[in-house]
Amino acid sequence: MGLAAPQAAMAPGLLSAAGRERLAFMLLVAPALLFAGAFYFLPIAQVLWISVSEPRPGLGNYAQLFTSTSIARVLATTARICAITTAITLVCSYAVAYALTHARPTIRRLLTIGVLLPLWVSVLVRAFAWMALLRREGLVNTALLASGLIDHPLGLIWNEFGVVLGMVHYMLPYGILPMAVQMRQIDPALAAASRGLGAGAFETFWRVFLPLSLPGLIGAGVLVFIFSLGFYVTPVLLGGGRTIMVAEYISVQIMDLLRWGTGTMLATTLILAILVALGLLSRVVDLRQLFGAR
Amino acid sequence: MRQQGRNVGAWLVICFLLLPITVVFPISVTDRDYLSLPVSGVSLRWYANLFTRPEWISSIGQSLVIAVCSMVIAVGVGTLCAIGCWRRGSRVSEAIRVLMLVPLIVPTIVYALGLYRLWVRLDLLDTYTGIVIAHAVTAVPYVIIIVSTGLAGFDVRLEQAARNLGADLRQTLWLVLVPSLVPALVSSAIFAFIHSWDEAVIVLFIAGRGLFTLPRRMWDGINDKLDPTMAAVAAVLITVTAVLLLVDLVLKRRQV
Amino acid sequence: MQEFAEDAAVILAERGRGLSRRRLLAAATALGIAPSLAARAAVPDVVLCNWGGDAIKAMTDAFVVPYEKATGGKMVIDGSGPANGKLRAMVEAKHVIWDMCDSGVAGIGELGPLGLLEPIDYSIVDRSHILPEFGYKYGVVNYMFSSVLAWDTTQVKTTLSPADFFDLKKFPGKRMIRKDSQGMLELALLADGVAIDKLYPLDQERALKKIASIKDELLYWTTGAQSQDLLRSGEAVMGWLWHTRANLLKQDTKGRIDWSFKGGLIQPGLWTVPKGNPAGKQAMVAIATLQAVPGQITLLGAMGNGPANPLASSSVPADLMSVDPGSPANLAVQARISAPWYEANYGASLKAFLDMVSS
Repeated sequence: MGLAAPQAAMAPGLLSAAGRERLAFMLLVAPALLFAGAFYFLPIAQVLWISVSEPRPGLGNYAQLFTSTSIARVLATTARICAITTAITLVCSYAVAYALTHARPTIRRLLTIGVLLPLWVSVLVRAFAWMALLRREGLVNTALLASGLIDHPLGLIWNEFGVVLGMVHYMLPYGILPMAVQMRQIDPALAAASRGLGAGAFETFWRVFLPLSLPGLIGAGVLVFIFSLGFYVTPVLLGGGRTIMVAEYISVQIMDLLRWGTGTMLATTLILAILVALGLLSRVVDLRQLFGAR
Repeated sequence: MRQQGRNVGAWLVICFLLLPITVVFPISVTDRDYLSLPVSGVSLRWYANLFTRPEWISSIGQSLVIAVCSMVIAVGVGTLCAIGCWRRGSRVSEAIRVLMLVPLIVPTIVYALGLYRLWVRLDLLDTYTGIVIAHAVTAVPYVIIIVSTGLAGFDVRLEQAARNLGADLRQTLWLVLVPSLVPALVSSAIFAFIHSWDEAVIVLFIAGRGLFTLPRRMWDGINDKLDPTMAAVAAVLITVTAVLLLVDLVLKRRQV
Repeated sequence: MQEFAEDAAVILAERGRGLSRRRLLAAATALGIAPSLAARAAVPDVVLCNWGGDAIKAMTDAFVVPYEKATGGKMVIDGSGPANGKLRAMVEAKHVIWDMCDSGVAGIGELGPLGLLEPIDYSIVDRSHILPEFGYKYGVVNYMFSSVLAWDTTQVKTTLSPADFFDLKKFPGKRMIRKDSQGMLELALLADGVAIDKLYPLDQERALKKIASIKDELLYWTTGAQSQDLLRSGEAVMGWLWHTRANLLKQDTKGRIDWSFKGGLIQPGLWTVPKGNPAGKQAMVAIATLQAVPGQITLLGAMGNGPANPLASSSVPADLMSVDPGSPANLAVQARISAPWYEANYGASLKAFLDMVSS
């Protein structure tokens, strides 16, 4: 900022340097705010208003959060499965992103191809591919039985295991790419310096690289967790119908039961819960510092 | 040695990622008329379906146009916003950045409901414009998160140096910042594209008899039987992408 | 002048398909064509909304072709599926694009009380062409279907009775049921020994308890395709599904999957008309036209949906009689659904059912 000041003094205009910065900021965020404001927040506000106007005006729908055991269970199931999915995805993504950053160009390109190709497979085809693989008489069980590793077919699908497996698989590219993008920018000289000063490979990783990769980790974590909250098709098809998550529950309220008050109430609750969680996260971890803002 | 050991975990994950893909190919040549592994023989009729039946070709065309348009809008709008919030670093800009994540949090069916009403008033139902806007605005969160992450490691001194050398905001952005953001931009573009390419909930709500994107065609017979042609679509896309990327790899090796 | 007017009327009839009635009449009057000719040309298109897939071709053959021949008007099938939520959004936004929907008991139960459907005009629709109990205020029967028990004969070696569904010892293996209370509660009660005419009001608690007793071995299907898939692939040993699916499965697997109407529940599919539908009264005319017997027999052959018209039973070919849920023999072993019960209780029953599923 200080370096920019002399420039401002040399170019007198209507605005001070601070004023020009503020204008620049507003110009940069205006398109997004206007676009999202008109085409997202406006319609969504009208819909979410239904949560306090239907079936009767007031907060009756929100009271269900405390009185309805089924809603409590759905929310708990969703939180649990999304947390598990995110944790597993982050660990696996980190391994791939790390390899992507440190590998030779050829290996790096091959890894990237491996990460990008699954994106072409739509969620329906993926679900059926998993069914073909994980069924009692599916390819995985057949291979395991043939090799003698197991005696009876494993229950790999129609349960939470299948759901988490399917969700992790879908999420991996969304974890890997943001992490890799950020890891690339970590100055390799820092790790080299650490080794030069005598630290072992693990210590260098733990105390130098990992902290530096935190923004990527958190960015990926936020993306994966929030994204997984809205999952519908995978849990329904791979869970045998037993794992009812909040996206499916809301859909039933809106599309079948016409309980729009309850459905929009749950959507509003999700928004508030996530915003609060992100707010808390920014207390624990200084997000501005993390994302390198000046 | 250690280098290879470090990569083992990564390769295991990649194998896991590719596992269902390998199954997609057998499914695409099934002899049954629903999504399944071949039972007593293989049949190429799903590929024939794909390349000769006008419905599937037009669906792919529609999806492509919509996905590209919404990707461009989302990446443009989202990148500018992410850069603005990054430069500002105030509470307000943080709040804006978090606010722009809301489209990712809200279940799509709820948004589709609100969108429907608005589109009826604006007469945008069953139009390309209507779908492109909806897909773009719901893809912005992806762009914001990834570009913010990409900005996290940007060396601020580079921008300061550019300003010192006399560059104005536009030049700084275009010649210094954006080039270093290329990986982030490419990643967010990919996600924005796939988001639109795969999006079914909004399309099923907003489209009438005119718009028949690929996801809509896939979900069309969901009550009945799932058309294996969708597996052929995936197989073709995977093959084309893999070939292109491998060719690119070989060419780059030759250069080096 | 006469020839020209007739010619113009023909052109109007062809081109006028998409125009609103008012605009068409205005054009006709401007051309000086006799109002009667113009009126005939101005029969509005009727849009029929069903659930897509094979139903589109089947209903085209069974319904669209006879309708167009009988009235000279045009009928279009939209396969996007008349989901309650979408219908409500349409009606409230005053942008209805469907005239008649292939709906059911749950549909009229949810939409009727909210005033989102037009009452069926029984001065146009003929009550004598339907079983009287299936002609409701907001919906009238279009075809009959049943929820039935089906099983894999390679895994279930002996004959199956409905009660055996809950016998995990004698018949181990996974079962599948629909992820909805409609049909499932009834089949559970029938399997538990309730007589077919003493089902309603449903003892919901008893039904849910019975289903919960085999919960660990239960899989739930939401789409027809899924129900076929689970049985066909051997994941489920037996299951409750729609008889049309069961019939297709039996044909597909050459008898490996077998099924029976015994202990099943017959239900009506219902034509409903959204409030403010574009074609107006023509929708009722269309419904009345589709009550004709030949079309219903065609549908039976194509999809297995039973004719709604009791007069059709004498025309059902011998080879289709075993598949017709409404045939006297099959009707005798099934229970009939009660729409009034669902109007009052569907929401609560679905909630309780999903609770049981997820707990």
